[in-house]
Amino acid sequence: MDSRRIERTAADWLARRASEDWCEADEARLEAWLAESAAHRVAWLRLKAAWLKSDRLKALGAGIPQGQIPERGRWTSSTVASAPTAGDSAASGDEAAWRSNRHGKRQPWVRIAGMAAGLLLTISAVWVLWQVRAVESSRHYTELGTVRDISLTDGSQATLGSASGIEVSFSRHQRRIDLEQGEAYFDVVHDPDRVFEVRAGTRRIVAVGTRFSVRRNGGDLRVVVTEGSVRLESVSGTGSARLLTAGTVARVDGGHMRVQEYPVEQAEELLNWRDGFLVFRNTPLSEAVAEFNRYSSRKLVIIDPAIADIPIGGNFRWNNADAFVRLLEQGFDVRARHHGHEVLLTSRVTRP
Amino acid sequence: MKDNLDDWFVREILVHEDALTRFLFRTWRHRDDIQELRQEIYVRVYQAAQTSRPTAPKSFLFTTARNLMTDRVRRARIVSIEAVGDIESLNVLMENDTPERRLSSRQELRRLAEAFDRLPDRCREIFWLCRVEERPQKEVAAQLGISRKAVEKQVAKGIRRIAEYYFGNSLDTAGGGLHKQHEDEHGQQTD
Repeated sequence: MDSRRIERTAADWLARRASEDWCEADEARLEAWLAESAAHRVAWLRLKAAWLKSDRLKALGAGIPQGQIPERGRWTSSTVASAPTAGDSAASGDEAAWRSNRHGKRQPWVRIAGMAAGLLLTISAVWVLWQVRAVESSRHYTELGTVRDISLTDGSQATLGSASGIEVSFSRHQRRIDLEQGEAYFDVVHDPDRVFEVRAGTRRIVAVGTRFSVRRNGGDLRVVVTEGSVRLESVSGTGSARLLTAGTVARVDGGHMRVQEYPVEQAEELLNWRDGFLVFRNTPLSEAVAEFNRYSSRKLVIIDPAIADIPIGGNFRWNNADAFVRLLEQGFDVRARHHGHEVLLTSRVTRP
Repeated sequence: MKDNLDDWFVREILVHEDALTRFLFRTWRHRDDIQELRQEIYVRVYQAAQTSRPTAPKSFLFTTARNLMTDRVRRARIVSIEAVGDIESLNVLMENDTPERRLSSRQELRRLAEAFDRLPDRCREIFWLCRVEERPQKEVAAQLGISRKAVEKQVAKGIRRIAEYYFGNSLDTAGGGLHKQHEDEHGQQTD
């Protein structure tokens, strides 16, 4: 449907109808054209309404001699530019409403509750470690929906993602971390005498001084390097080792390795969970949903495969999956249904 | 029944063209599409109203606009949820109690005068003679030494331009001459 063409045709009808030799046959033809489609009728109604309004121009013509075209600005010259129109003030009102609406969305209690839960967990974890472990080794866990910074005895820092666990074993000869589950980010202090290695199942990532993150899901692995370089190899020493430099994202998926190079800033976006954010760029909905699910016991479940590939972009707080779901419903053909501890996402078929 | 619907459409829907156009400009990046989007929104609203007339016409209009845009976004596969976020907040504020912006009689006349003044010289002259002085098109053609068809064309063009400014004058102010651009492209073509 070409709307401009339709508008032109409607205008032609109107001009012809205004002419002195408009006849009944013309009227019938116009009626037929209008009956053809709602698009015709709507365009016609709009122009006809303007045409009827323009009748009021006659009021402006009073006092102007017949056949003389009034000069421009005769009626409007003084205030045209300066007077704010109704539209302008309404627009700024819209802006204000928009802004206050945005601010109104934050829910501070959610964050406070999260922090409290995290703190409680930290205290209990420390207590458990104190009881069970020797000084040189320790174990750290996080609950769903929490992220925790851990200072290691060599001065390195670890940040544990949601529902993650590491075992730290430092000796005089080596620094070893076992990633039992989940994801951990490491900011490693340089120590030429002791390599820093992270083991994840059958593979290990070896670093000297660098920043990187390792995520483990059973045998699958994702390594993101944001500074320096690491070596990814199998624990047994068989097979080839792979050197990963800053900006590299390596994924091991069912035994296959996929390595992608990004600008460092973009690789870092994958680690924004440390600050409470998930960043998506053209990410399939299924992946975005999996990310959110790492942080919450209330799982988002894609019921309808048709929506799994919808590409998503944006910045989200991982503790606010509700807002994410709301946006999905608003913006896409997606409907969310709450069902026990799950939010079921389906394709919406009917719409107004 | 049909006439009632038509009146309803002019009275309850078209009066919001200016807000609608502004909304489209704010939410939709491809300005060339806006005229066509608006037309399709009108068609959807009109068709829906044939079955049952919405009780809150303004918010129905904007909901329709939002749905149409998200349909397009999905089809175009240029999805960014930030853009959609925008649509969401705009939708929320449409349901706020924004005062109606119906023009007073004086404002209406002023807007008409502005619309009229924006017509190109030839178009403005012919529109004045035909519409305001109600001179027969034949006579105007003879006086100006042009064809009947040419007069008709100028009248048609005049009313399109006036409608654009009168209903949705943000196309002119925010659009940076969207309408003009197309005028230049197609202005000379004959049907």
